[in-house]
Amino acid sequence: MSTHTFAEHVGEVEIVLEAESETDLLREALAAFRELLGACGDGEPASHAVELLPGTPAELLWGWLDELMYLAEVEDFVPERATVIDFAHGGLRAIVRGVHGHPRHLVKAVTLHDLAAAVEGGTWHGRVVLDV
Amino acid sequence: MRVPARVFADEVLLAAIARDRSLVQLQNVATLPGIVEAALGMPDMHQGYGFPVGGVAATDATDGVVSPGGVGYDINCGVRLLALPLAAAELGGRVEALVHEISRAIPAGAGKEGGLRPGAAAFDRLLAFGPRVLVDELGIGTEDDLERTESRGCLDGADPAAVSERARTRGARQVGTIGSGNHFIELQRVDRIIDAAAAACFGLAQGQATVLIHSGSRGLGHQVCTDYVHTMLAVAPRYAIVLPDLELACAPLGSSEGRAYLAAMAAAANFAWANRQAMTHLIRRSVERVLGAEAAAGTRQVYDVAHNIAKLERHGGRLVCVHRKGATRAFAGDSVEIPAAYRGVGQPVFIPGSMGTSSYVLAAEPGAMERSFGSTCHGAGRALSRTAARRRIGGAELRRQLAAQGIVVRCPSNSGLAEEAPFAYKDVDRVVAVVERAGLARRVARLRPLGVVKG
Repeated sequence: MSTHTFAEHVGEVEIVLEAESETDLLREALAAFRELLGACGDGEPASHAVELLPGTPAELLWGWLDELMYLAEVEDFVPERATVIDFAHGGLRAIVRGVHGHPRHLVKAVTLHDLAAAVEGGTWHGRVVLDV
Repeated sequence: MRVPARVFADEVLLAAIARDRSLVQLQNVATLPGIVEAALGMPDMHQGYGFPVGGVAATDATDGVVSPGGVGYDINCGVRLLALPLAAAELGGRVEALVHEISRAIPAGAGKEGGLRPGAAAFDRLLAFGPRVLVDELGIGTEDDLERTESRGCLDGADPAAVSERARTRGARQVGTIGSGNHFIELQRVDRIIDAAAAACFGLAQGQATVLIHSGSRGLGHQVCTDYVHTMLAVAPRYAIVLPDLELACAPLGSSEGRAYLAAMAAAANFAWANRQAMTHLIRRSVERVLGAEAAAGTRQVYDVAHNIAKLERHGGRLVCVHRKGATRAFAGDSVEIPAAYRGVGQPVFIPGSMGTSSYVLAAEPGAMERSFGSTCHGAGRALSRTAARRRIGGAELRRQLAAQGIVVRCPSNSGLAEEAPFAYKDVDRVVAVVERAGLARRVARLRPLGVVKG
Protein backbone atom coordinates (compact mmCIF):
# COMPACT_ATOMS: atom_id res chain seq x y z
CA MET A 1 0.00 0.00 0.00
CA SER A 2 1.57 3.30 -1.11
CA THR A 3 0.58 6.72 0.22
CA HIS A 4 1.51 10.33 -0.25
CA THR A 5 0.65 13.38 1.82
CA PHE A 6 1.38 17.07 1.45
CA ALA A 7 3.07 18.25 4.64
CA GLU A 8 2.79 21.69 6.16
CA HIS A 9 5.56 23.86 4.77
CA VAL A 10 5.58 27.64 4.81
CA GLY A 11 5.64 28.88 1.25
CA GLU A 12 6.42 25.62 -0.52
CA VAL A 13 5.03 22.15 -1.18
CA GLU A 14 6.46 19.19 0.70
CA ILE A 15 5.55 15.65 -0.35
CA VAL A 16 5.86 12.78 2.13
CA LEU A 17 5.82 9.31 0.58
CA GLU A 18 5.49 5.74 1.83
CA ALA A 19 5.63 2.60 -0.27
CA GLU A 20 6.51 -1.08 -0.16
CA SER A 21 9.27 -0.81 -2.74
CA GLU A 22 11.46 1.77 -4.40
CA THR A 23 9.50 1.27 -7.61
CA ASP A 24 6.26 2.00 -5.81
CA LEU A 25 7.84 5.02 -4.13
CA LEU A 26 8.51 6.54 -7.56
CA ARG A 27 5.02 5.63 -8.77
CA GLU A 28 3.57 7.34 -5.69
CA ALA A 29 5.72 10.40 -6.30
CA LEU A 30 4.27 10.52 -9.80
CA ALA A 31 0.76 10.31 -8.37
CA ALA A 32 1.49 13.17 -5.95
CA PHE A 33 2.97 15.29 -8.72
CA ARG A 34 -0.03 14.55 -10.94
CA GLU A 35 -2.30 15.81 -8.18
CA LEU A 36 -0.49 19.14 -8.17
CA LEU A 37 -1.16 19.61 -11.88
CA GLY A 38 -4.91 19.96 -11.26
CA ALA A 39 -7.65 19.27 -13.77
CA CYS A 40 -5.84 19.25 -17.10
CA GLY A 41 -8.46 18.30 -19.67
CA ASP A 42 -8.23 15.40 -22.06
CA GLY A 43 -5.38 15.77 -24.49
CA GLU A 44 -3.69 13.48 -26.96
CA PRO A 45 -2.13 10.38 -25.38
CA ALA A 46 1.63 10.59 -25.12
CA SER A 47 4.55 8.78 -23.57
CA HIS A 48 8.04 9.79 -22.59
CA ALA A 49 11.14 7.80 -21.77
CA VAL A 50 12.97 8.89 -18.64
CA GLU A 51 16.59 7.93 -18.07
CA LEU A 52 18.54 8.86 -14.97
CA LEU A 53 22.22 8.36 -14.25
CA PRO A 54 23.22 6.15 -11.32
CA GLY A 55 22.55 7.69 -7.95
CA THR A 56 21.31 7.10 -4.44
CA PRO A 57 17.59 6.45 -3.95
CA ALA A 58 17.20 10.09 -2.88
CA GLU A 59 18.99 11.31 -6.00
CA LEU A 60 16.80 9.12 -8.19
CA LEU A 61 13.65 10.43 -6.49
CA TRP A 62 14.90 13.98 -7.12
CA GLY A 63 15.76 13.24 -10.75
CA TRP A 64 12.43 11.52 -11.35
CA LEU A 65 10.39 14.49 -10.17
CA ASP A 66 12.73 16.97 -11.88
CA GLU A 67 12.09 15.22 -15.19
CA LEU A 68 8.31 15.14 -14.67
CA MET A 69 8.37 18.85 -13.77
CA TYR A 70 10.37 19.67 -16.90
CA LEU A 71 8.03 17.67 -19.16
CA ALA A 72 4.97 19.33 -17.63
CA GLU A 73 6.41 22.81 -18.11
CA VAL A 74 7.93 22.42 -21.56
CA GLU A 75 5.72 19.76 -23.17
CA ASP A 76 2.49 20.32 -21.21
CA PHE A 77 2.78 16.61 -20.48
CA VAL A 78 0.45 15.26 -17.81
CA PRO A 79 1.88 11.99 -16.49
CA GLU A 80 -0.68 9.33 -15.62
CA ARG A 81 1.38 6.21 -14.90
CA ALA A 82 4.80 4.67 -15.28
CA THR A 83 4.55 1.45 -17.24
CA VAL A 84 8.19 0.45 -16.88
CA ILE A 85 10.58 1.29 -14.08
CA ASP A 86 13.93 -0.42 -14.35
CA PHE A 87 16.79 0.25 -11.92
CA ALA A 88 19.51 -0.84 -14.28
CA HIS A 89 23.14 -0.32 -13.17
CA GLY A 90 22.11 1.93 -10.28
CA GLY A 91 20.31 4.35 -12.56
CA LEU A 92 16.75 4.44 -13.79
CA ARG A 93 14.97 3.78 -17.05
CA ALA A 94 11.25 4.31 -17.23
CA ILE A 95 8.41 4.86 -19.63
CA VAL A 96 5.82 7.37 -18.49
CA ARG A 97 2.44 7.45 -20.15
CA GLY A 98 -0.02 10.30 -19.99
CA VAL A 99 -1.58 13.01 -22.12
CA HIS A 100 -0.68 16.42 -23.49
CA GLY A 101 -3.02 18.75 -21.65
CA HIS A 102 -3.12 22.02 -19.80
CA PRO A 103 -1.42 21.27 -16.49
CA ARG A 104 -1.34 23.80 -13.71
CA HIS A 105 2.35 24.66 -13.79
CA LEU A 106 2.75 25.22 -10.09
CA VAL A 107 6.08 23.49 -9.54
CA LYS A 108 9.14 25.46 -10.63
CA ALA A 109 11.97 23.41 -9.11
CA VAL A 110 12.62 20.25 -7.17
CA THR A 111 14.88 21.13 -4.27
CA LEU A 112 17.41 19.20 -2.21
CA HIS A 113 15.92 20.64 0.97
CA ASP A 114 15.25 17.73 3.39
CA LEU A 115 15.38 15.35 0.41
CA ALA A 116 15.20 11.73 1.55
CA ALA A 117 14.45 8.28 0.19
CA ALA A 118 15.35 5.17 2.15
CA VAL A 119 13.95 1.87 3.35
CA GLU A 120 13.29 1.41 7.04
CA GLY A 121 11.59 -1.56 8.65
CA GLY A 122 10.64 -2.91 5.24
CA THR A 123 8.89 0.30 4.19
CA TRP A 124 10.26 2.86 1.78
CA HIS A 125 9.99 6.47 2.96
CA GLY A 126 10.52 9.53 0.82
CA ARG A 127 10.42 13.28 1.35
CA VAL A 128 10.87 16.05 -1.20
CA VAL A 129 10.22 19.80 -1.18
CA LEU A 130 9.07 21.48 -4.38
CA ASP A 131 9.65 25.15 -5.09
CA VAL A 132 6.39 26.74 -6.20
CA MET B 1 29.95 30.09 12.68
CA ARG B 2 32.61 32.34 11.20
CA VAL B 3 30.62 35.52 11.90
CA PRO B 4 27.54 36.37 14.00
CA ALA B 5 24.00 36.04 12.69
CA ARG B 6 22.05 39.27 13.11
CA VAL B 7 18.30 39.80 12.63
CA PHE B 8 16.38 43.05 12.20
CA ALA B 9 13.01 42.47 13.87
CA ASP B 10 10.73 43.47 16.69
CA GLU B 11 9.45 41.01 19.30
CA VAL B 12 6.37 40.02 17.32
CA LEU B 13 8.23 39.42 14.06
CA LEU B 14 11.05 37.63 15.87
CA ALA B 15 8.49 35.27 17.41
CA ALA B 16 7.09 34.58 13.94
CA ILE B 17 10.60 34.05 12.55
CA ALA B 18 11.40 31.63 15.37
CA ARG B 19 8.47 29.40 14.44
CA ASP B 20 10.29 27.98 11.42
CA ARG B 21 13.92 27.00 10.76
CA SER B 22 15.07 30.32 9.38
CA LEU B 23 17.24 31.18 12.40
CA VAL B 24 19.10 27.86 12.08
CA GLN B 25 19.47 28.52 8.36
CA LEU B 26 20.91 31.96 9.10
CA GLN B 27 23.42 30.36 11.49
CA ASN B 28 24.38 27.96 8.69
CA VAL B 29 24.91 30.90 6.32
CA ALA B 30 27.31 32.33 8.91
CA THR B 31 29.58 29.30 8.29
CA LEU B 32 30.16 30.06 4.60
CA PRO B 33 33.85 30.45 3.68
CA GLY B 34 34.82 34.08 3.35
CA ILE B 35 31.63 35.55 4.83
CA VAL B 36 32.30 38.95 6.36
CA GLU B 37 30.84 40.90 9.26
CA ALA B 38 27.55 39.01 9.82
CA ALA B 39 24.84 36.91 8.24
CA LEU B 40 21.85 39.24 8.20
CA GLY B 41 18.14 38.52 8.49
CA MET B 42 15.52 41.01 7.43
CA PRO B 43 12.23 41.39 9.37
CA ASP B 44 10.29 39.46 6.71
CA MET B 45 12.63 36.49 7.01
CA HIS B 46 11.22 32.99 6.73
CA GLN B 47 12.51 29.52 6.00
CA GLY B 48 13.95 28.93 2.56
CA TYR B 49 16.31 26.32 1.15
CA GLY B 50 19.78 26.61 2.62
CA PHE B 51 19.55 30.39 2.95
CA PRO B 52 16.48 31.83 4.62
CA VAL B 53 14.29 34.05 2.46
CA GLY B 54 15.05 37.55 3.70
CA GLY B 55 18.74 36.77 4.16
CA VAL B 56 21.79 38.83 3.23
CA ALA B 57 25.38 37.58 3.18
CA ALA B 58 28.51 39.30 1.89
CA THR B 59 31.54 37.19 1.04
CA ASP B 60 35.02 38.49 0.45
CA ALA B 61 35.78 38.82 -3.26
CA THR B 62 39.28 37.42 -2.79
CA ASP B 63 38.77 34.35 -0.64
CA GLY B 64 35.02 34.03 -0.34
CA VAL B 65 32.46 31.84 -2.07
CA VAL B 66 29.37 32.37 -4.17
CA SER B 67 26.31 30.25 -3.41
CA PRO B 68 23.37 29.83 -5.81
CA GLY B 69 21.22 29.17 -2.74
CA GLY B 70 22.10 32.66 -1.54
CA VAL B 71 20.36 34.06 -4.58
CA GLY B 72 17.49 31.61 -4.74
CA TYR B 73 15.81 29.67 -7.51
CA ASP B 74 14.02 32.65 -9.02
CA ILE B 75 17.09 34.67 -9.99
CA ASN B 76 16.30 38.40 -10.10
CA CYS B 77 12.81 37.99 -8.87
CA GLY B 78 11.99 41.63 -8.40
CA VAL B 79 9.52 44.44 -8.41
CA ARG B 80 8.83 47.22 -10.91
CA LEU B 81 6.52 50.17 -10.23
CA LEU B 82 4.80 52.11 -13.01
CA ALA B 83 3.02 55.41 -12.42
CA LEU B 84 0.03 56.27 -14.60
CA PRO B 85 -0.52 59.92 -15.51
CA LEU B 86 -3.88 60.09 -13.82
CA ALA B 87 -5.61 59.73 -10.50
CA ALA B 88 -7.23 56.41 -9.61
CA ALA B 89 -10.51 58.31 -9.25
CA GLU B 90 -10.32 59.15 -12.94
CA LEU B 91 -10.42 55.45 -13.79
CA GLY B 92 -14.03 55.46 -12.67
CA GLY B 93 -15.75 52.32 -13.90
CA ARG B 94 -12.77 51.31 -16.02
CA VAL B 95 -10.83 49.51 -13.26
CA GLU B 96 -12.28 46.12 -14.12
CA ALA B 97 -11.74 46.70 -17.84
CA LEU B 98 -8.08 47.62 -17.30
CA VAL B 99 -7.40 44.66 -15.03
CA HIS B 100 -9.13 42.38 -17.49
CA GLU B 101 -7.14 43.78 -20.40
CA ILE B 102 -3.85 43.29 -18.53
CA SER B 103 -4.84 39.71 -17.69
CA ARG B 104 -5.58 39.06 -21.38
CA ALA B 105 -2.31 40.60 -22.51
CA ILE B 106 0.03 38.93 -20.04
CA PRO B 107 -0.06 35.16 -19.58
CA ALA B 108 -0.14 33.98 -15.98
CA GLY B 109 0.82 30.68 -14.38
CA ALA B 110 4.13 28.83 -14.32
CA GLY B 111 5.24 27.72 -17.75
CA LYS B 112 2.66 29.77 -19.61
CA GLU B 113 3.96 31.14 -22.87
CA GLY B 114 4.42 34.79 -23.66
CA GLY B 115 3.73 36.79 -26.76
CA LEU B 116 7.39 37.51 -27.41
CA ARG B 117 9.28 34.70 -29.12
CA PRO B 118 12.82 35.92 -29.74
CA GLY B 119 14.85 33.74 -32.09
CA ALA B 120 17.97 32.01 -30.85
CA ALA B 121 20.31 34.90 -31.66
CA ALA B 122 18.00 37.50 -30.14
CA PHE B 123 17.55 35.27 -27.11
CA ASP B 124 21.31 35.18 -26.59
CA ARG B 125 21.42 38.97 -26.81
CA LEU B 126 18.63 39.21 -24.22
CA LEU B 127 20.70 37.05 -21.88
CA ALA B 128 23.82 39.11 -22.54
CA PHE B 129 22.35 42.61 -22.49
CA GLY B 130 18.85 42.44 -20.97
CA PRO B 131 16.06 44.89 -21.81
CA ARG B 132 18.43 47.13 -23.81
CA VAL B 133 17.87 44.64 -26.66
CA LEU B 134 14.09 45.09 -26.48
CA VAL B 135 14.44 48.87 -26.50
CA ASP B 136 16.99 49.04 -29.34
CA GLU B 137 15.76 46.23 -31.60
CA LEU B 138 12.02 46.11 -31.02
CA GLY B 139 11.17 49.57 -29.71
CA ILE B 140 9.80 48.00 -26.54
CA GLY B 141 10.35 50.50 -23.75
CA THR B 142 12.33 53.70 -23.48
CA GLU B 143 15.75 54.95 -22.41
CA ASP B 144 14.05 56.31 -19.31
CA ASP B 145 12.85 52.79 -18.44
CA LEU B 146 16.46 51.57 -18.59
CA GLU B 147 17.73 54.53 -16.58
CA ARG B 148 15.19 53.71 -13.86
CA THR B 149 16.17 50.04 -13.58
CA GLU B 150 18.73 48.65 -11.14
CA SER B 151 22.06 48.31 -12.98
CA ARG B 152 20.21 49.66 -16.04
CA GLY B 153 18.85 46.15 -16.46
CA CYS B 154 22.18 44.58 -17.36
CA LEU B 155 24.71 42.81 -15.15
CA ASP B 156 28.23 42.77 -16.51
CA GLY B 157 29.79 39.42 -17.26
CA ALA B 158 26.62 37.69 -18.41
CA ASP B 159 27.54 34.74 -20.62
CA PRO B 160 24.75 32.99 -22.54
CA ALA B 161 27.07 30.01 -23.03
CA ALA B 162 27.01 29.41 -19.28
CA VAL B 163 23.24 28.82 -19.42
CA SER B 164 22.27 25.21 -20.09
CA GLU B 165 20.12 24.12 -23.02
CA ARG B 166 17.49 22.93 -20.56
CA ALA B 167 17.33 26.40 -19.03
CA ARG B 168 17.06 28.04 -22.45
CA THR B 169 14.25 25.68 -23.45
CA ARG B 170 12.32 26.58 -20.31
CA GLY B 171 12.82 30.31 -20.81
CA ALA B 172 12.48 30.61 -24.57
CA ARG B 173 8.70 31.02 -24.56
CA GLN B 174 8.36 32.87 -21.27
CA VAL B 175 9.42 36.43 -22.11
CA GLY B 176 6.56 38.67 -21.03
CA THR B 177 4.89 36.27 -18.56
CA ILE B 178 4.15 36.66 -14.85
CA GLY B 179 4.63 33.10 -13.63
CA SER B 180 2.85 31.53 -10.70
CA GLY B 181 3.08 31.37 -6.92
CA ASN B 182 3.29 34.78 -5.30
CA HIS B 183 3.87 36.66 -8.56
CA PHE B 184 1.34 39.25 -9.61
CA ILE B 185 0.53 42.50 -11.35
CA GLU B 186 -1.44 44.91 -9.21
CA LEU B 187 -3.34 48.04 -10.18
CA GLN B 188 -3.16 50.42 -7.24
CA ARG B 189 -3.96 53.82 -5.84
CA VAL B 190 -1.48 55.95 -3.89
CA ASP B 191 -3.38 55.85 -0.64
CA ARG B 192 -1.10 57.92 1.55
CA ILE B 193 1.93 60.11 1.05
CA ILE B 194 4.31 59.91 4.00
CA ASP B 195 7.40 61.71 2.67
CA ALA B 196 6.11 64.40 0.31
CA ALA B 197 9.50 65.47 -1.03
CA ALA B 198 10.63 61.94 -1.84
CA ALA B 199 7.24 61.06 -3.33
CA ALA B 200 7.43 64.12 -5.59
CA CYS B 201 10.94 63.10 -6.64
CA PHE B 202 9.65 59.61 -7.52
CA GLY B 203 6.74 61.19 -9.42
CA LEU B 204 4.04 59.94 -7.04
CA ALA B 205 1.05 61.98 -5.86
CA GLN B 206 -1.83 61.34 -3.51
CA GLY B 207 -4.54 59.33 -5.25
CA GLN B 208 -2.43 58.51 -8.32
CA ALA B 209 -2.92 55.24 -10.16
CA THR B 210 0.07 52.89 -10.22
CA VAL B 211 0.87 49.37 -11.43
CA LEU B 212 3.22 47.07 -9.51
CA ILE B 213 4.81 44.09 -11.29
CA HIS B 214 6.28 41.23 -9.23
CA SER B 215 7.97 38.54 -11.30
CA GLY B 216 11.37 37.05 -12.10
CA SER B 217 13.40 34.90 -14.46
CA ARG B 218 10.80 32.15 -14.77
CA GLY B 219 11.83 28.61 -15.64
CA LEU B 220 15.19 29.78 -16.98
CA GLY B 221 16.35 31.16 -13.64
CA HIS B 222 15.09 28.14 -11.74
CA GLN B 223 17.03 25.85 -14.06
CA VAL B 224 20.21 27.90 -13.74
CA CYS B 225 19.99 27.61 -9.96
CA THR B 226 19.27 23.88 -10.12
CA ASP B 227 22.14 23.27 -12.54
CA TYR B 228 24.72 25.12 -10.47
CA VAL B 229 23.62 23.79 -7.07
CA HIS B 230 24.43 20.34 -8.47
CA THR B 231 27.67 21.49 -10.09
CA MET B 232 28.87 23.01 -6.83
CA LEU B 233 27.85 20.01 -4.74
CA ALA B 234 29.99 17.86 -7.00
CA VAL B 235 33.10 20.02 -6.58
CA ALA B 236 32.71 20.96 -2.90
CA PRO B 237 35.23 18.29 -1.74
CA ARG B 238 37.80 19.64 -4.20
CA TYR B 239 37.69 22.98 -2.39
CA ALA B 240 37.46 21.37 1.07
CA ILE B 241 34.06 22.95 1.60
CA VAL B 242 31.95 21.25 4.26
CA LEU B 243 28.26 22.08 3.90
CA PRO B 244 25.79 22.14 6.79
CA ASP B 245 22.97 22.02 4.22
CA LEU B 246 23.07 20.77 0.61
CA GLU B 247 21.22 23.87 -0.59
CA LEU B 248 24.15 25.98 0.64
CA ALA B 249 26.29 24.47 -2.12
CA CYS B 250 28.95 27.00 -3.06
CA ALA B 251 32.30 27.43 -4.78
CA PRO B 252 35.10 29.99 -4.47
CA LEU B 253 34.33 33.18 -6.38
CA GLY B 254 37.55 32.79 -8.31
CA SER B 255 37.03 29.14 -9.24
CA SER B 256 35.86 28.09 -12.69
CA GLU B 257 32.55 26.91 -11.17
CA GLY B 258 32.06 30.16 -9.25
CA ARG B 259 32.80 32.27 -12.31
CA ALA B 260 30.51 30.15 -14.49
CA TYR B 261 27.66 30.53 -12.00
CA LEU B 262 28.11 34.30 -11.83
CA ALA B 263 28.04 34.46 -15.64
CA ALA B 264 24.89 32.32 -15.84
CA MET B 265 23.25 34.14 -12.95
CA ALA B 266 23.92 37.49 -14.63
CA ALA B 267 22.34 36.14 -17.84
CA ALA B 268 19.28 34.99 -15.88
CA ALA B 269 19.10 38.38 -14.14
CA ASN B 270 19.21 40.15 -17.50
CA PHE B 271 16.47 37.82 -18.73
CA ALA B 272 14.30 38.74 -15.73
CA TRP B 273 14.72 42.47 -16.40
CA ALA B 274 13.81 41.86 -20.03
CA ASN B 275 10.77 39.89 -18.87
CA ARG B 276 9.56 42.78 -16.70
CA GLN B 277 10.33 45.20 -19.55
CA ALA B 278 8.19 43.11 -21.91
CA MET B 279 5.37 43.10 -19.38
CA THR B 280 5.70 46.86 -19.02
CA HIS B 281 5.20 47.14 -22.77
CA LEU B 282 2.11 44.92 -22.62
CA ILE B 283 0.71 46.95 -19.73
CA ARG B 284 1.19 50.18 -21.67
CA ARG B 285 -0.68 48.60 -24.59
CA SER B 286 -3.48 47.63 -22.21
CA VAL B 287 -3.56 51.17 -20.84
CA GLU B 288 -3.79 52.45 -24.40
CA ARG B 289 -6.73 50.17 -25.21
CA VAL B 290 -8.68 51.11 -22.10
CA LEU B 291 -7.58 54.67 -21.29
CA GLY B 292 -6.16 55.98 -24.55
CA ALA B 293 -2.82 56.71 -26.18
CA GLU B 294 -2.04 59.74 -24.03
CA ALA B 295 -2.36 57.73 -20.81
CA ALA B 296 -0.16 54.98 -22.25
CA ALA B 297 2.52 57.44 -23.37
CA GLY B 298 2.50 59.03 -19.92
CA THR B 299 2.84 55.73 -18.05
CA ARG B 300 6.27 56.13 -16.49
CA GLN B 301 8.55 53.66 -14.79
CA VAL B 302 9.36 54.71 -11.21
CA TYR B 303 11.99 52.01 -10.70
CA ASP B 304 12.77 48.31 -11.04
CA VAL B 305 14.72 46.54 -8.32
CA ALA B 306 15.75 42.92 -7.76
CA HIS B 307 15.35 41.00 -4.52
CA ASN B 308 17.07 37.70 -5.48
CA ILE B 309 20.57 38.43 -6.72
CA ALA B 310 24.30 38.36 -5.98
CA LYS B 311 26.46 41.34 -6.92
CA LEU B 312 30.04 42.41 -6.49
CA GLU B 313 29.95 45.67 -4.55
CA ARG B 314 32.29 47.75 -2.48
CA HIS B 315 31.30 48.16 1.15
CA GLY B 316 33.53 49.67 3.81
CA GLY B 317 36.33 49.90 1.28
CA ARG B 318 36.19 46.15 0.65
CA LEU B 319 35.04 44.37 -2.50
CA VAL B 320 32.45 41.75 -1.53
CA CYS B 321 29.88 39.56 -3.21
CA VAL B 322 26.56 40.55 -1.65
CA HIS B 323 23.98 37.75 -1.76
CA ARG B 324 20.45 39.09 -1.41
CA LYS B 325 17.85 36.37 -1.19
CA GLY B 326 14.45 37.87 -0.58
CA ALA B 327 16.18 41.14 0.23
CA THR B 328 16.16 44.35 -1.77
CA ARG B 329 19.14 46.48 -2.66
CA ALA B 330 18.80 49.81 -0.83
CA PHE B 331 21.45 52.32 -1.82
CA ALA B 332 21.40 55.71 -0.18
CA GLY B 333 21.02 59.02 -1.98
CA ASP B 334 24.75 59.62 -2.38
CA SER B 335 25.29 56.48 -4.45
CA VAL B 336 26.27 56.88 -8.08
CA GLU B 337 24.58 53.53 -8.72
CA ILE B 338 21.09 55.02 -8.56
CA PRO B 339 19.39 57.20 -11.19
CA ALA B 340 20.60 60.81 -11.17
CA ALA B 341 17.02 61.98 -10.58
CA TYR B 342 16.90 60.11 -7.26
CA ARG B 343 20.27 61.17 -5.85
CA GLY B 344 19.89 63.01 -2.61
CA VAL B 345 16.64 61.17 -1.91
CA GLY B 346 17.69 57.52 -2.00
CA GLN B 347 16.97 54.54 -4.18
CA PRO B 348 13.29 53.58 -4.39
CA VAL B 349 12.41 50.28 -2.70
CA PHE B 350 9.05 48.55 -3.18
CA ILE B 351 7.59 46.33 -0.50
CA PRO B 352 4.51 44.44 -1.64
CA GLY B 353 2.07 43.45 1.07
CA SER B 354 -0.59 41.02 -0.02
CA MET B 355 -3.84 41.13 -1.96
CA GLY B 356 -6.21 43.23 0.09
CA THR B 357 -3.54 45.00 2.12
CA SER B 358 -1.06 47.78 1.45
CA SER B 359 2.23 47.89 -0.36
CA TYR B 360 4.88 50.48 0.39
CA VAL B 361 7.29 52.68 -1.50
CA LEU B 362 10.39 53.31 0.57
CA ALA B 363 13.56 55.34 0.04
CA ALA B 364 16.88 53.83 1.04
CA GLU B 365 18.66 55.42 3.98
CA PRO B 366 22.38 55.74 4.77
CA GLY B 367 21.91 53.23 7.60
CA ALA B 368 21.53 50.47 5.02
CA MET B 369 25.04 51.17 3.75
CA GLU B 370 26.36 51.03 7.33
CA ARG B 371 24.40 48.09 8.70
CA SER B 372 23.11 45.79 5.94
CA PHE B 373 25.42 46.00 2.91
CA GLY B 374 22.92 48.35 1.27
CA SER B 375 19.96 46.01 1.71
CA THR B 376 16.50 45.98 3.18
CA CYS B 377 13.42 43.74 3.32
CA HIS B 378 11.44 42.60 0.26
CA GLY B 379 7.87 41.94 1.33
CA ALA B 380 5.58 40.91 4.09
CA GLY B 381 6.85 37.32 4.18
CA ARG B 382 4.64 34.28 4.46
CA ALA B 383 3.16 33.43 7.84
CA LEU B 384 1.00 30.42 6.85
CA SER B 385 1.69 27.42 4.65
CA ARG B 386 -0.17 27.14 1.36
CA THR B 387 -2.08 24.17 2.73
CA ALA B 388 -3.11 26.07 5.83
CA ALA B 389 -4.25 29.03 3.73
CA ARG B 390 -6.37 26.76 1.52
CA ARG B 391 -7.92 25.17 4.61
CA ARG B 392 -9.02 28.56 5.92
CA ILE B 393 -10.62 29.90 2.77
CA GLY B 394 -11.68 28.80 -0.69
CA GLY B 395 -10.68 30.73 -3.78
CA ALA B 396 -14.28 31.58 -4.66
CA GLU B 397 -14.97 32.96 -1.19
CA LEU B 398 -11.75 34.99 -1.29
CA ARG B 399 -12.77 36.44 -4.64
CA ARG B 400 -16.07 37.52 -3.08
CA GLN B 401 -14.35 39.07 -0.06
CA LEU B 402 -11.91 41.00 -2.23
CA ALA B 403 -14.71 42.12 -4.52
CA ALA B 404 -16.56 43.43 -1.46
CA GLN B 405 -13.48 45.60 -0.79
CA GLY B 406 -13.64 46.83 -4.36
CA ILE B 407 -10.63 44.77 -5.49
CA VAL B 408 -10.92 43.13 -8.91
CA VAL B 409 -9.16 39.75 -9.16
CA ARG B 410 -8.06 37.77 -12.19
CA CYS B 411 -6.44 34.43 -11.34
CA PRO B 412 -6.48 31.22 -13.39
CA SER B 413 -6.66 29.00 -10.30
CA ASN B 414 -9.01 29.18 -7.30
CA SER B 415 -6.64 27.15 -5.15
CA GLY B 416 -3.69 29.30 -6.23
CA LEU B 417 -5.67 32.36 -5.23
CA ALA B 418 -6.53 30.94 -1.81
CA GLU B 419 -2.86 30.15 -1.17
CA GLU B 420 -2.08 33.85 -1.53
CA ALA B 421 -4.85 35.06 0.81
CA PRO B 422 -3.93 38.19 2.77
CA PHE B 423 -3.94 36.37 6.13
CA ALA B 424 -1.23 33.99 4.82
CA TYR B 425 1.26 36.87 5.09
CA LYS B 426 2.85 38.78 7.93
CA ASP B 427 1.81 42.33 8.72
CA VAL B 428 3.59 44.48 6.13
CA ASP B 429 3.10 47.61 8.26
CA ARG B 430 5.13 46.02 11.05
CA VAL B 431 7.87 44.84 8.65
CA VAL B 432 8.23 48.30 7.17
CA ALA B 433 8.21 49.94 10.60
CA VAL B 434 11.20 47.80 11.62
CA VAL B 435 13.36 48.74 8.62
CA GLU B 436 12.47 52.39 9.20
CA ARG B 437 13.44 52.22 12.88
CA ALA B 438 16.66 50.43 11.93
CA GLY B 439 17.51 53.26 9.55
CA LEU B 440 17.64 51.00 6.47
CA ALA B 441 14.87 52.76 4.54
CA ARG B 442 12.10 55.26 5.22
CA ARG B 443 8.46 55.19 4.16
CA VAL B 444 7.54 57.40 1.22
CA ALA B 445 4.07 56.29 0.18
CA ARG B 446 1.46 53.60 0.79
CA LEU B 447 -0.31 51.90 -2.11
CA ARG B 448 -3.73 50.20 -1.91
CA PRO B 449 -4.82 47.56 -4.43
CA LEU B 450 -7.65 48.22 -6.88
CA GLY B 451 -7.18 45.07 -8.89
CA VAL B 452 -4.79 42.16 -9.12
CA VAL B 453 -3.73 39.72 -11.81
CA LYS B 454 -2.33 36.64 -10.09
CA GLY B 455 0.02 34.15 -11.59
